[in-house]
Amino acid sequence: MEKFLDFIVRAGSLDRRYIFVVIAFVVIMPLFYPLGLPIRPTVSSKTIYDTVEQLEAGNKALVSFEYGPSTKPEIHPMAVALLRHLFEKDVKVYVTCLWPDGQFMAMEALAQVAENQYHKEYGVDYVLLGFRPGNEAVIKGLVSNFRKVYTVDARGNFLDDIPMMDGINQVGDFDYLFSASAGYPGTVEWVQYAADPTGVTMGTGTTSIQVNEVMPYVQSGQIKGILGGMPGAAEYEKLIGQPGIGTSGMDAQSVAHIVIVGFIIFGNISFFVERRRAKKY
Amino acid sequence: MNGSEIFGAWVAVFLTLGIFSYLYKDNPFYKIAEHIFVGVSAGYWMSMFFWTQIQPNLFGRLWPVPEGAISGFFMRIWYGIYDIFGFVLPRVFPDGGIDKGHGSDPHFLYLLPFILGIMMLLSVVSKWSWMARLGIAYTVGMAAGLRAYAFLNSNVLGQLKGSAVSFVNIPWFSLTDASIFNNIIILIGTITGLLYFYFSKEHTGHFGKVTRVGIYFLMISFGASFGFAVMGRISLLIGRFTDLISYGGENYNYASLWVLLVMIVLLTVWTIKGDKDTAS
Repeated sequence: MEKFLDFIVRAGSLDRRYIFVVIAFVVIMPLFYPLGLPIRPTVSSKTIYDTVEQLEAGNKALVSFEYGPSTKPEIHPMAVALLRHLFEKDVKVYVTCLWPDGQFMAMEALAQVAENQYHKEYGVDYVLLGFRPGNEAVIKGLVSNFRKVYTVDARGNFLDDIPMMDGINQVGDFDYLFSASAGYPGTVEWVQYAADPTGVTMGTGTTSIQVNEVMPYVQSGQIKGILGGMPGAAEYEKLIGQPGIGTSGMDAQSVAHIVIVGFIIFGNISFFVERRRAKKY
Repeated sequence: MNGSEIFGAWVAVFLTLGIFSYLYKDNPFYKIAEHIFVGVSAGYWMSMFFWTQIQPNLFGRLWPVPEGAISGFFMRIWYGIYDIFGFVLPRVFPDGGIDKGHGSDPHFLYLLPFILGIMMLLSVVSKWSWMARLGIAYTVGMAAGLRAYAFLNSNVLGQLKGSAVSFVNIPWFSLTDASIFNNIIILIGTITGLLYFYFSKEHTGHFGKVTRVGIYFLMISFGASFGFAVMGRISLLIGRFTDLISYGGENYNYASLWVLLVMIVLLTVWTIKGDKDTAS
């Protein structure tokens, strides 16, 4: 028994680089050999799905991209899945970006979904308005006068020349608002400056780390549903019946979590054994 | 697959593995990747800000394309200044004015942010650095004013409404939806959590026991945050590995494998050389 406890204490002070190697291994293996673990949509993901399902053809959805390459693996799959759902229902999609790199994420997602998959027409079915700096001031501007913030879209077309911009003068003219957000400015600012003052139904997709911060707004009904990180994306892909990058990454995510939980339990055992020995001697 | 895509993949692989190499220890590959990241980010942000805001929305409002010929002494001077700028930077100030849908009359009110912006840049000149304070003061004041109402409305009133939970016409227990049991937990958690931050009374006796419950709720919240943080980091790792796997294919001339191999060899040489230097 004493030898076993010795082993636990020694293992507890293992060089952390071995742990990195183990994590890398358990993340890579399921990417090569998928396990096909089940994905069960949560209530918050289902709420977003149901809200989008209630939209009718021709309704207008404002989708804001507030993420960049650093958080792409978490947010991009859910943005793509949401766009698929919106275009499937023939909803008109208006894309804004509060992050400069969000514009390129939006271009990539729209090229993949709107152009290549659904063959939608630019300016008629969807429009990329692009990035505007100013954080919450931009949202505030969009709420009061959309055309003061945007006079041209990301391609340089005048808003007055874009057919689907007819009748769009403020955020209140939209039927649905979705923020794909990785931080500030993002979901919280859209709630504070757009959704709450105008009453437009809002959903969000955030990084995992933001879920705790945003969840109070979901609980209070200020946001209708949240997609949290890669699992949220995988759940949404499952709901719309189109598996994508989110689904393929979930096996690796699940296995890595099990291993990390194992490490935490083992580390705690090692800590308590060491502390008990220290007290004893 | 064209040449630029393959080149881009090799650069992406090098930068990814360069950053990962820090997990071994601080090394030249990591430093190269870090400096490139910082430099490219700064350049990219500056370029985006200039071409999406300053040029179209500031200069575009100050010098829009006038309707007809420019008339009047002041307007001639105003557009004369524009022509001088245009001579130096023709791409930023094209001939005849900037047409970005802001009408045909200059919006002189926008001179104010223009001047404040220049003042903020003057912080690099020690003699005039005091001027930057005006620009910063405006920004801080504007942000404070803008946020005051929004916070009161969404974070105070909205959350107060959200905390007013119901105890009627809902089931006793549910794992997913609102239930009496869940709402009791929300009620206890909210009150005890708030009481923990009440420091005007010493946390002893019955009050101490109540605030201790508040600590438990806070700890659970921190635990959830930690769990989500781990989940997020693993997601990002999956994203990088997915790219590395795809760049390791034949289409990209096995970029991941080659870069990994070369990096391991060079890091080994660098470590051995470093050890020898330390020993000597």
